[in-house]
Amino acid sequence: MSRSLGVRRRLALLTAVVLMWPAALAGAAPAAEVFSPKVHPDADDPAAVHGGAYVTGVISDPKTFNLQAAQETSSTEAVGLLFDGLVEMNFRTGEIEPALAESWTLADDRGTWTFRLRRGVKWHDGRPFTAADVDFTLRAAFAPGGVSSERDVLTFDGKPVRWRVVDPLTIQIVMPKPIGFFLRLAGIAILPKHKLEAALAQGGAAFIRAWGVNTPPRELVGTGPYRMMQYVPGQRLSYARWTEYWKTDKQGRKLPYFDRVVTVIVPNLEALRLRFMARETDIYAARPREYADLKAKEREGAFTVIDGREGYGSELLVFNQNPAGVTDPKLTWFRDTRFRRALQHAIDRDGIVAQVYGGRATPAYGPISRGNTVYYNQSLPAFPYDLARAERQLAEAGYVKSGDRLRDGAGNAVAFTLTTNSENNDRVAIGNIVRQDLVKLGIRVTFAPEAFNSLVARLDGSRKWETMIMGLTGSIEPGTGRNVWVSSGSINMWHPGQKKPSAAWEAEIDQLFEQVATEFDQNKRKAAYHRWQQIMSEQSPMLFFTNPKSQVAVRNTIGSVKTGLGGAISPTEILYRRGGGR
Amino acid sequence: MTNRAPRGSKAAKAATSALHTLVEAPEVRAESPTRLAWRKLRRHRLAVSGGAVVLSLYFITIFAEFLAPYSLDYTERSKFLHPPTRIHLLDEDRRPSWPFVYGTLLVDPGLRRYQEDRTERYPLRFFAAGEPYRFAWVIPANIRLFGVEKPGHVFLMGTDQFGRDQFSRILYGGRVSMFIGIYALLLTLPIGVAYGAISGYFGRRVDDVMMRVAEIVMSFPEFYLLLALASVLPPQIPSSQRLMLIILILSFVGWGGLARVIRGMVLVLRELEYVQAAQAAGARVPYLLARHIIPNTASFLIVSASLGVPGAILGESGLSFLGLGIQEPDASWGKLLASANSIQTLTGSPWLLWPGAFIAAAIAGYNLLGDGLRDALDPRSRSGGGFGRSRRRRRA
Amino acid sequence: MIRYVARRLLQLIPMLLGITLITFVVMQLAPGDFLSEMRMNPVVSPERIEQMRHNFGLDQPKPVQYLRWLGGLLRGDFGYSFAFQIPVLDLIGTRVGNTLLLNVSAFLFAWVIAVPLGIYSALNNYRFGDHALTVGALLGISLPTFFTGLLGLYFAYETKWLPIGGMTSVEYDFMDPFGKMADVAWHLVLPVIILGLGGIAGLMRQMRANMLEVMEQDYVRTARSKGLAGGVVIWKHAVRNAINPLITLFGFALGGLLSGSAILENIIGWPGLGNLLLEAVQKKDLYVVMGSLVIGSIMLVTGNLISDLLLAYVDPRVRYD
Repeated sequence: MSRSLGVRRRLALLTAVVLMWPAALAGAAPAAEVFSPKVHPDADDPAAVHGGAYVTGVISDPKTFNLQAAQETSSTEAVGLLFDGLVEMNFRTGEIEPALAESWTLADDRGTWTFRLRRGVKWHDGRPFTAADVDFTLRAAFAPGGVSSERDVLTFDGKPVRWRVVDPLTIQIVMPKPIGFFLRLAGIAILPKHKLEAALAQGGAAFIRAWGVNTPPRELVGTGPYRMMQYVPGQRLSYARWTEYWKTDKQGRKLPYFDRVVTVIVPNLEALRLRFMARETDIYAARPREYADLKAKEREGAFTVIDGREGYGSELLVFNQNPAGVTDPKLTWFRDTRFRRALQHAIDRDGIVAQVYGGRATPAYGPISRGNTVYYNQSLPAFPYDLARAERQLAEAGYVKSGDRLRDGAGNAVAFTLTTNSENNDRVAIGNIVRQDLVKLGIRVTFAPEAFNSLVARLDGSRKWETMIMGLTGSIEPGTGRNVWVSSGSINMWHPGQKKPSAAWEAEIDQLFEQVATEFDQNKRKAAYHRWQQIMSEQSPMLFFTNPKSQVAVRNTIGSVKTGLGGAISPTEILYRRGGGR
Repeated sequence: MTNRAPRGSKAAKAATSALHTLVEAPEVRAESPTRLAWRKLRRHRLAVSGGAVVLSLYFITIFAEFLAPYSLDYTERSKFLHPPTRIHLLDEDRRPSWPFVYGTLLVDPGLRRYQEDRTERYPLRFFAAGEPYRFAWVIPANIRLFGVEKPGHVFLMGTDQFGRDQFSRILYGGRVSMFIGIYALLLTLPIGVAYGAISGYFGRRVDDVMMRVAEIVMSFPEFYLLLALASVLPPQIPSSQRLMLIILILSFVGWGGLARVIRGMVLVLRELEYVQAAQAAGARVPYLLARHIIPNTASFLIVSASLGVPGAILGESGLSFLGLGIQEPDASWGKLLASANSIQTLTGSPWLLWPGAFIAAAIAGYNLLGDGLRDALDPRSRSGGGFGRSRRRRRA
Repeated sequence: MIRYVARRLLQLIPMLLGITLITFVVMQLAPGDFLSEMRMNPVVSPERIEQMRHNFGLDQPKPVQYLRWLGGLLRGDFGYSFAFQIPVLDLIGTRVGNTLLLNVSAFLFAWVIAVPLGIYSALNNYRFGDHALTVGALLGISLPTFFTGLLGLYFAYETKWLPIGGMTSVEYDFMDPFGKMADVAWHLVLPVIILGLGGIAGLMRQMRANMLEVMEQDYVRTARSKGLAGGVVIWKHAVRNAINPLITLFGFALGGLLSGSAILENIIGWPGLGNLLLEAVQKKDLYVVMGSLVIGSIMLVTGNLISDLLLAYVDPRVRYD
């Protein structure tokens, strides 16, 4: 869930606008070996200059330098600057743009994709990049005994994709069935065959161990804008500019701009903030609660806090509707739509926004964040905080308050436990607020936060829990996380792994997600997502709380800072230091 | 040695020590060791003040319900991170008045700024009815030492991020912190003493095996064992049981060192003539240990007990810091302090540091008391010799 | 002597067995394993998790897992880290030096401060100076490390006198060797003071008590009565003998070196073993935890041994056979 939706870079590529590639490029096929750079559409600042260093910070060491072994962002971010995919997503528009592939076509069977690779691209050690590297990357993903993180991405309904090298600069990929948002595949980082083939020859398990964090950085050869120079465990990662990178700015100057990038590794967010305030780092992605304090120090610290949009994620409360984990009468309450909807009005979203997020969040009433401007359904009704209304709706559903206890139709006192992972302070804070309000309704709520691991053990193993506060990080394309939403999904939270949907609304959600997967028309997908949001609102299997906003503080000496979707800001390759050196 | 021997002595008791004293200072009538220690302790000013601090901390935590204006989880959602309420002694016209507070309004949730609302005035009330509670777990009551009428509030030490009264939570949370060490000792001492005594008394093979086992326990990096064990705790148990388990863990980690020292002392004690004599007279082992050997370790035990409690307080606070200790909504001083663990708090809401002051007071108090006890119970310091110590004492 | 050392080292074997077994059992008691977290990830399929379980050997029965690891240990193989996919020894190797540097510095700092203060305190027994030192030392141990660490960081941030955590500056790679040493020393100041403060109180009180005891011994009295000057008696006879018991403490300190600074490392951002181990325990990276504990125990035993030998060296009354 929120902690583990790791490989954000790749997930970010899951986009709606797959059919918007520049078709004109597809036809052009001039003589080979002529370098064909790409002009970055957002590198349009004429004042940009080369030089200087850019210092960022992270709060965790990378676990591996092998992107196919990587399970979390600390690893993917550490080597993200070193590699490219066939395509990439524009951070502002969400559109898919050519990267290592300069063009592509889709055959009439809507399952066969042909990628034309960019000419003249070099690996950091000077070797040319060819289709053999793409082939190698795909073979590594499916190596027997391997646990590549790309394997699941490239498997549909249990069937892997197939592929064929057509010529040194062309590769064809065949889908087991038409997939509307397939182009995410092309976001996979392409790895150098000549460096890793020996490891793969020893099997999938050996390949996953290749390029561990004890690898000398010069061995890590990519096509990306930076080369890694040094990794000092627990202290820093440093990078140097790859002078033959294949992207240019609008004036034809080579990207990236910074000579050096340094990522300092600190133990926690508190330290990260201190380092930023002490001007040791150039950027700090602040927590919502810190916004006002940071804003007040902008001038003093020579930085600007970028007032970002809501991210894709939200925190939510979910009721366990799984008969394997909950028994009557609790199961009856949790499966009662009227009961769940009544409780929507007992959630003090404005109170949560003020107390937990210092005002930097928006109340959420459905599964898609307001920050996802592509798919958010604006017509969802709000559930205002109104305990009297909640009580009235409960009474209409047969739950009557006598004295200070709420009782169901059969006379059972309504009581349940509410849990969350104790490591997450925001969730604990929300849980406290929710508990107080439910107690006011006469519901005896025991709030018992516990360690994430034991929570997972019950979510996934014994299924014995009652209600829970969890988070979802979300992505621009909800269809990629279908496992969370469809009734058969293994991590559907309210009732996972159902053989057959137990309610009509669940069946409809299943059908909608089947539809979006094979749908190539973004507008039709949008309509399906809107309907899904409406069902989630009407049925309320999950009570969503808020969508927190992003607030990134950037030093004023950094140029070309733009905001993007889901609270993102410009990628490192187009940032520059005003006046050069540091 | 001093000439004052204020209380009547029981010369018959503890012949050896009396003899010792008579030889050293013939003009003094002999005192019982307990009495002597008590007298020396009282003269130790730091120890007395340490003891006073400890006692008063126990007092306020035991009577928390009465002393605290609010209950443990009473929450005023709109008053989160509220600074300590100002208690006014002068009214608008600067005339003296019965203490009162103004109502407050949140004017900026981002910077958490509150403003006094001068139109709302609430006089401080003493011994007034407040949140109901049960005194000593049974007697229902609602009289609290002080408070103000609703919707007014009095937050002596501000509120936490949820809007709960910090002062009240400190008082309740002190129960966990002040008693956890005592409970832990109740478990550690018997284990450590019995284990050490048996090992030391029997010696040889038994000693060898038992000490190796103790060394295993001791050589565990304590902190990680604590961490690993704490993450084993079943999640759904109520906080009180959870607390008991934490205590168990603290005790499990703590007995090794104690057992080793006791064993060392017993090794010496068992060779003493009167023990040998009792042994020859056919005394059974448990009797020997209980009657002749263990009592001789009492002064060491008292001291290590008074120094062990602070260790448990710190241990619990470390666990709470890592989120493995007491769980919400329950509180302990360590847990309260851990929630203040950010620079933003340090600068923006410094009142959240109050629990730190209480932890510091408890630990300093216990340590001073322990130090004083060590001096007072140490038979070697009984003669008061040394360079100039007696001189100064005489002056005092 | 050699026989004694050999016997002590042999005792290490059952001890290590005990420690690793307990650790293994305790780690199994907690729900879930290293892969639990991944199971909640929508982009990770159950098949892939099963494959990982197999690759990590977690699909074997528990006793087999333990014995396999133990077998590897005999060959000097501490196993693989689940999280890092590199040998545990490599992982520990990059960090153990940093932790030792921090702890040994803090230890020396505490000794250099505490021993003279303890002597002073004993000589001024029950005077104002003694009381002031007692209270001051107590303040050093009366707050949890996580808190003093935070205060220290804040102090560094506000005054700009000291670096805000970490072990080296960003520019470290461009410094000459002397500059590098100075840089590390500069970063050591804050954590060493914070960590050292905790040790000072205990050591100082111990030194004071030893001094008081020694000064009442007959040979000191005799020396004084024979008219030797106070200074000579104190330094030549009393202090030398009073320091002996502290050497025993030294062994314990060596064993505690690995775990003593875990929380502080976490707060200050010291790239040491404590931080790594903390994460490993929480994520259930089994062999990293067990490997670290083995190394910690070996250090403890060695530390105890060294202190015993030192004691024999400085105190002719102690003999080992």
